[in-house]
Amino acid sequence: MSVLEMKDIHKSFGSLEVLKGIDLNVDKGEVVAIIGPSGGGKTTLLRCATTLETIDKGQIKIGDDELVTTVNDKAVYCSKKMLQDFRSKFGLVFQGFNLFPHFSVRRNITEALIHVHKKPAAEADKICDNLLSKMGMLDKADAYPCNLSGGQQQRVGIARALATNPEIIFFDEPTSALDPELTAGILKVIRELAEEKMTMVIVTHEMSFARDVADRIVFMEGGVIVEQGPAKELINNPKNDRTKEFLAGY
Amino acid sequence: MKDLLSILTQLGTGFLTTIILFCLTLIFSIPLGLLVAKGRMSKNIVIRSVVRFYISIMRGTPLMLQLLLVYFGPFYLFGIKLRDLGIGKIDYRDIAAVIGFSINYAAYFGEIFRSGIQSMPKGQYEAAAVLGFSKSQTYFRIILPQVIKRVLPAVTNEVITLVKDTSLAYSIAVVEMFTVAKQISAAQTSVLALFVAGAFYYLFNFIVEIIMNGIEKKMSYYQ
Repeated sequence: MSVLEMKDIHKSFGSLEVLKGIDLNVDKGEVVAIIGPSGGGKTTLLRCATTLETIDKGQIKIGDDELVTTVNDKAVYCSKKMLQDFRSKFGLVFQGFNLFPHFSVRRNITEALIHVHKKPAAEADKICDNLLSKMGMLDKADAYPCNLSGGQQQRVGIARALATNPEIIFFDEPTSALDPELTAGILKVIRELAEEKMTMVIVTHEMSFARDVADRIVFMEGGVIVEQGPAKELINNPKNDRTKEFLAGY
Repeated sequence: MKDLLSILTQLGTGFLTTIILFCLTLIFSIPLGLLVAKGRMSKNIVIRSVVRFYISIMRGTPLMLQLLLVYFGPFYLFGIKLRDLGIGKIDYRDIAAVIGFSINYAAYFGEIFRSGIQSMPKGQYEAAAVLGFSKSQTYFRIILPQVIKRVLPAVTNEVITLVKDTSLAYSIAVVEMFTVAKQISAAQTSVLALFVAGAFYYLFNFIVEIIMNGIEKKMSYYQ
């Protein structure tokens, strides 16, 4: 069963066509890594799926909720009310963390639970404690983001994305802002989520991580999916010449 | 010594007017400034242009002239008797002073708030959006609290300037401290009253500084 369905996604910035008809389905429990050179459209694709960019043409669904469909060759988005529902179906982990600096770690995680999902504070706190202990950060619940390391901030970012119990989590280069040591810690957290069969889409430059953790790898360049396949096979035996060339750089 | 005591008691009543004028101006101009900032950033070109023009006029002409215009304008432009514009016991000149200061300071605050709002990283809006916060929740819970911290030093500057600017109300004969000081000074042919008034203004601003520093410190728990 598909959790995420993206069909024939087209997106241009002005005259620059960034996505030229992308199809991407992600099944429940599947981990998909998107790799490829910068400017190839990976992040834009993720941003379209997470409502941060609007597409020109195509269809996006998470579960039964349709974000956008195409009528007469033009993208038609769902209502505002539906958009709110749609946003509760997924979580997004940013490259730059984007934590709320004026909130404690706890409030970063519970704010949406309490004020968007209308959960009682006690329940939100419980969810927060569970997630923080899973991240090994329970002792930092009352700290502020500015007092945390990059790795710790990203853990909070992941906890925040997980808090609303989404059906799928998107990661936009979650370790690009971290040094190698901290990167390992974050990758471990993602690996654990994969073992728990969390559905995930990860844009990453960490090839060995993608090979080990992802079920499937998608190689994107120039706004199209050049090649995709089972993770190990694609990394070890790429068929397309461009994929080979790209992977040779790692 | 007796002189000084009489100066202090006379200035005291004027000082009260100064404080009221100061407080009312802040109460009106800060929320108005938020609206100005919003209008200045509006997607609607008409709203944006009108607000831009308003800011330009407010910043580009003397505050004293604006006060005179607000006070005398209704009579010269529309023939309304100024006496009729008072509310109960409050003379229109006092109301005009509050209006004049408020619309002038709203323009300055508006630009300060705009700079604060526009300095917010896009990521904060995006994080709030994907978490499902509505536009107003995002504004009041995520953006505004951070903007307040960012603009605080600039706002402090304006507030301090306002304390001193209240003396311009003498131009429409509002009986605030500076007006009283000038009257005493003329009657006694001595500058003592003006010096005492100066000390009052300084003391007032000294307290403003302490309060604003306190707020800044309170908000320094994060970066």
